[in-house]
Amino acid sequence: MIKIEGLTFYYSDTNQPALRDISLKVRDGEFVLMTGPSGGGKSSLCRCLNGLIPHFYGGRISGRVAVAGLDTLKSSTRELATRVGFVFQDPENQLVSMDVEREVAFGLENLGFPRHLIAKRLEESLDTLGIAGLRYRPLSELSGGEKQKVAIASVLALHPNVLILDEPTSELDPKGAEEVLSVVTRLNHELGLTVLLVEHRLDRVLQYADRLIIVNQGVIALDGKVNDILTDRYRELTDLGIGVPPLIRLFQELKKRDARIDRVPLTVKEGRAILQKTLENRTPLADTGWERQRADGKHLIEIKNLWYAYPNGITALKNVRLEIREGEFVAIMGRNASGKTTLVKHFNRLLVPTKGKIKVAGIDTREATIAQLARKVGFVFQNPNDHLFADTVYDEITFTLKVLGFSNEEIKLRTGEVLEKFHLTEHKECYPRSLSGGEKQRVALASVLAARPKILILDEPTRGMEYRLKGELMRFLKDYCSQGNTVVLVSHDVEIVAEHAERVILLSEGRVVVDGEKHDVLSQALLFSPQINRLAQPFARYGVSSKILTVSEALSVLS
Amino acid sequence: MRSFRYQHRDTPVHKLNPFPKLGWIISILILALVLDSPLFLLLLFLSTLPLVRAGRVGAEWRAFMKLALYLSAAIILINALVSSHGTHVLFEIPGHLPLLGAPVITLEAIIYGVAMSLRLLAIISAFALLTLTVNPDDMMLAMIKMRLPYKSVLVTSLSTRFMPTLLDDVDRITDVQRARGLELDKGKLRHRIKSRASIVTALLSNSLDRAVQVAEAMESRAFGTGRKRTFYRDISFSPADITALVFSLLPGALGIFMGLNGYGQYQYYPSLSWTSLSRGEWWLLGLMVLLIVALLPLAYLKQRVDLD
Repeated sequence: MIKIEGLTFYYSDTNQPALRDISLKVRDGEFVLMTGPSGGGKSSLCRCLNGLIPHFYGGRISGRVAVAGLDTLKSSTRELATRVGFVFQDPENQLVSMDVEREVAFGLENLGFPRHLIAKRLEESLDTLGIAGLRYRPLSELSGGEKQKVAIASVLALHPNVLILDEPTSELDPKGAEEVLSVVTRLNHELGLTVLLVEHRLDRVLQYADRLIIVNQGVIALDGKVNDILTDRYRELTDLGIGVPPLIRLFQELKKRDARIDRVPLTVKEGRAILQKTLENRTPLADTGWERQRADGKHLIEIKNLWYAYPNGITALKNVRLEIREGEFVAIMGRNASGKTTLVKHFNRLLVPTKGKIKVAGIDTREATIAQLARKVGFVFQNPNDHLFADTVYDEITFTLKVLGFSNEEIKLRTGEVLEKFHLTEHKECYPRSLSGGEKQRVALASVLAARPKILILDEPTRGMEYRLKGELMRFLKDYCSQGNTVVLVSHDVEIVAEHAERVILLSEGRVVVDGEKHDVLSQALLFSPQINRLAQPFARYGVSSKILTVSEALSVLS
Repeated sequence: MRSFRYQHRDTPVHKLNPFPKLGWIISILILALVLDSPLFLLLLFLSTLPLVRAGRVGAEWRAFMKLALYLSAAIILINALVSSHGTHVLFEIPGHLPLLGAPVITLEAIIYGVAMSLRLLAIISAFALLTLTVNPDDMMLAMIKMRLPYKSVLVTSLSTRFMPTLLDDVDRITDVQRARGLELDKGKLRHRIKSRASIVTALLSNSLDRAVQVAEAMESRAFGTGRKRTFYRDISFSPADITALVFSLLPGALGIFMGLNGYGQYQYYPSLSWTSLSRGEWWLLGLMVLLIVALLPLAYLKQRVDLD
């Protein structure tokens, strides 16, 4: 059992409390889903539960926290390690050994367990997570999802009463995320383990959680049964910028119009059942189409029979033929290692084709340098931390312009302009790395866009990002696109692509499998379709187009 | 860069207990320091090759040797330019160079440089074998068995663990800066160093963040708190292992013997001595090669014993 009373906490160098007078009780065996804006105090709250706060972080703390009968203020992290298992966000940064077996044994060794007991616990944990087959594999060869499962196994070996996972999927691709979340669900359902999961991707876990807690500005803003909160406190959720799954957004809207809908569905299956009832007695709707945007600008990127093989012999791209036009908003999707990143790295010559040809803005990339192309092609990488190195935000932005050889006046002008545009003017003297996640992303973007590239490439910019920030970024990209620039987005995020892109290119095993308008590519697939499309698929006979992808399209058809 | 890391392979060399391999390295080190004669040093280097071959780490080993060859070239060049003790002048460099004056290239200086490089090649070859065939975790255990403090050993082991992660970071950050138009290999040296600063800064900041997170994760798994730690895996010593360990130290013992009695020495300056080896020295040379290579049959033997 977790019992928190009047918990207030200040990090050592701040006057602003990270947590304010929090009280919370979690029963044994509960599955608690916690979410909220970043910087709101979720991670701090988790760290109070296994004693990292205050034993590791220091700071000022008042109130009481008890986990499984242990007072975390008085108990050492050693004692707490056997009660609370803690899994962190980045699998890369919580594994310390070279292979799986040693990693799982690490905690038990620290606690001084004899060898035969370690052997027993090791088998147990590996089997529970279904990773016994990986036991001798070096960790560096595992996928992100597998690494995260090893991390879970390694805390499970200590037989904790509570399992805390702090955004365990935000560094993973959808497949890895799915695997980790289903393991966590199983641990709760079958072992009765108390689970506290911090997550932004609500659609995958809502139906399994008993309770939803929203933490914002250091307090618990909402706390209750999942369905109660989603049905009755929807307004508050959206005001806080919580990423409510499209299915729920749709039914909240329908609920306003149709009194017969009293609960929102948590799964596509439940949603179809409700929709079936409301549509049954109605005359079929006319099949409505919607405006499709067609880009007719000139070709900015032309790729002819492009092949690429890495020096280690793996062929990553096979005979790719593509044209991308001016003003298009293109999403490139596909599994891990399907060649997405390899393809876009050709657009600014980070890679040069092994065979075939690519022309960017009329220039054969073989005949240009990366620096020459940098004025035309901007590239934003996944992690803003990789971009940031300068002492101030201002320097970070001017760096790009200086490197590209702009005149001092031009640099001043452009920097001022992007600072204004990305609301960074007040932060211009700040150290970029100390900013919040969203601000860091804006600085990275600003530093690239200061050069005003005609083509903007973003490699998984939304992975692990909270909903509100995703929206902000996408609105900006659309705006940029409408000014006649081309945006190429590499993404795993089906919902974001369905909502904002125009054209979708699907890669598999280094080949272009499908290339077309998003409604044609993303509809009528199994898992690859957005939630709303999966919901709508069986209702074609009522005139609901099987090509709808988004909440607004669904609403225009249904009402 | 990946080729500098340990990778598991199913060979007798990989399976051999780490202690004999450590003993073997020590032997090679002693010999390399004691011996002077180019012939002895050449054979010292050559006798490390059978183990490299049996361990099937040829490709990775070559990556190490490539680096060693660059170093060797530098050693030979610098020695030839700086040392003017030899008597056989090959040619004189006309004019006056800063610091060096008017260097005279002599045959002796070149041969001495070559011998020094052979010494270096032998040491690097042996270390490459150790790095490539001993699992870093086993190395950690071996060091703990030798009573080195656990925490220092762990730090060493963590740095091996995070090497691939760091290399990935370097690749990503370099791409970021190149995509922004930074040209790393253009311009003067000063410019090149300056442009790399942006990469190093980002890399350091990333690594610091990482370090805090790793520490946090270790703390929440009861690391470094009181009582004695146990070790799940252990290095066991079978009679075959002990035999191998004893044999691995014999070349070192021979090296000490040769050093004390003045065998394997050679005179480079003022002019190369062309006297042939004495009969005793030929015997010692043969014995040295035999003892160094002896680890290989012992590794096969151990594999057999383990299977039975």
